[in-house]
Amino acid sequence: MFRKVLIANRGEIALRVISACKELGIRTVAVYSEADRNSLHVKFADEAICIGPPRSAESYLNVPAVISAAEIADVDAIHPGYGLLSENANFAEVCRASNIKFIGPPPEVTRMMGEKSTARQTMKKAKVPILPGSDGIIANEGEALEWAKSVGYPVILKAVAGGGGRGMRICRSPEELPALFNQASTEAANAFGNGDLYMEKFIERPRHIEFQVLADEHGNVMSLGERECSIQRRHQKLIEEAPSLQVTPKQREELGKTIKKSLENIGYWNAGTIEFLMDEDGKIYFIEMNTRIQVEHCVTEMVTGVDLVKAQLRIAAGEKLSSIVPGPIEIRGHAIECRINAEHPEKFTPSAGRITAFNVPGGNGVRVDTAQYAEGVVPPYYDSMIAKLICHGKDREEAMNRMQRALSQFVVQGIHTTIPLHQRIFADEEFRAGRFDTKFMERFLERQKEEQA
Amino acid sequence: MDGTKMQELRELVEFLKANDIAEFDMEQEDLKVRIKFAGEPAPAAASGGIDLAQLSRLMAAAPVAASSVAAPAASPSAAAASAAPVAAAEEKLHEVKSPIVGTFYESPAPGASSFVQIGDQVEVGQVLCIVEAMKLMNEIESDVAGEVVKRIATSGQPVEYGQPLFAIRPR
Repeated sequence: MFRKVLIANRGEIALRVISACKELGIRTVAVYSEADRNSLHVKFADEAICIGPPRSAESYLNVPAVISAAEIADVDAIHPGYGLLSENANFAEVCRASNIKFIGPPPEVTRMMGEKSTARQTMKKAKVPILPGSDGIIANEGEALEWAKSVGYPVILKAVAGGGGRGMRICRSPEELPALFNQASTEAANAFGNGDLYMEKFIERPRHIEFQVLADEHGNVMSLGERECSIQRRHQKLIEEAPSLQVTPKQREELGKTIKKSLENIGYWNAGTIEFLMDEDGKIYFIEMNTRIQVEHCVTEMVTGVDLVKAQLRIAAGEKLSSIVPGPIEIRGHAIECRINAEHPEKFTPSAGRITAFNVPGGNGVRVDTAQYAEGVVPPYYDSMIAKLICHGKDREEAMNRMQRALSQFVVQGIHTTIPLHQRIFADEEFRAGRFDTKFMERFLERQKEEQA
Repeated sequence: MDGTKMQELRELVEFLKANDIAEFDMEQEDLKVRIKFAGEPAPAAASGGIDLAQLSRLMAAAPVAASSVAAPAASPSAAAASAAPVAAAEEKLHEVKSPIVGTFYESPAPGASSFVQIGDQVEVGQVLCIVEAMKLMNEIESDVAGEVVKRIATSGQPVEYGQPLFAIRPR
């Protein structure tokens, strides 16, 4: 097992990794920017090294600074957390060259799965269902019509060189396709200098389903079941749960087997998450893979009993999956996580500043992962998440009621938080009934506005 | 410690408290003083140092053998050890701080003479030392012109971003 690990991250995930290390008897080294001097992850690490000024680019994302800190502290391994450098293949390569173990997959695998089209091809070869897309440019309306006919409407036209929603058109019938094709192409040519388009199947009301995996460095892979993360605002997840009410035990088992095989083929190591969209008929399509531990890993931990971060450390130290997770995975009960952000609950404007009161809820089935505390400061330089509130119950009903109770006892003063927003969501009938998709938040916020008017 | 010394020490503690001094070193023989005021940001190390309440308790509980009351540098991380500013009683010197994480060296090579000596006059841009990071020797330049008063870091010492390396009296 490692003697010393450096955590190349900040906030709650840095504290999460430090905690797992402490439980395994591993000495911890924190790195921090000047803005995080009084952070909890700094206070609770065995050693701490300041690596730069507040801006992430000059501190947490500064590879030479992080590696230099790892060298002077003489660490065996680096845990990159999530975000920041966690999916940076170059960083993983520098670690390898510096003889420091990177806790994650090999750089080549990170690179392969990080590139959207290679990831799709890899999954397709392994017979993982992927969202149908034209593997290449659609040259004209004729080809577009043909392709759309084979895949089925609705479809979406997208600019090859594009982004930000430009050069994109959703098409729901063959009659409108030629005109939309030309509009998209012209818009793309004007915006990006390149009018080439490709097409994808479009799902009107998708649900976001993702599967957690663990893989050791001996070729063994296992699936730990799924999470549903459909409650999102502007592509940022707000609420996640495990299991998904939509996934049948058969789907869970079959998809688990297929995923296992695909990752064995590519030589995946350590923790990862495979993301899917589920359409209105319950069919699941691969969209992308995250080659790191995720924010919402906690809900999987609550229902499976597996400590995923300790598993990451043990895998990287060379242990086999069979000793880390001895028995078959059983999903027990239901867990839900609310991401608490330092934002205004209605306007969503960021709310940095000093926290004057911080009462964290507890009790049966309640878990809070946070690096904030009373008199702590939320700096303006980083993402706004300040805590994760996770509730577990014997079923979804109990988990939801527990969450309502816990939210009512989570007192944060001095800054705005999204706690009131979560309270409103948990009182919402559609949410409680499990009737949602990724457009839920848009509809919910509309309803809220109407009710106030 | 005799009664007079004890009384002097008590008066000293009252003086320190009255002036909001959080940490206090003292050595006799030509006098060497180090003072840190309350309200300055705490060093990065897990344990900070003796605080005044603790100091008072210690004074009352048992006589202290030496006249040196030093804040223990309990930090296991050498990198954070000298994060506190060194301020002589009267003047505020300019500190040259490390712009990178790495290992401090006062000379260009082992056995070679130091880049600068105490008492040297330096210009802006003059190389004061090396901080080695990832096998690269980075020359650290002075950001002020003046006299080198103190070398704060020692050769071979790991330093963090922002760590004071030299104290310079600006011209």
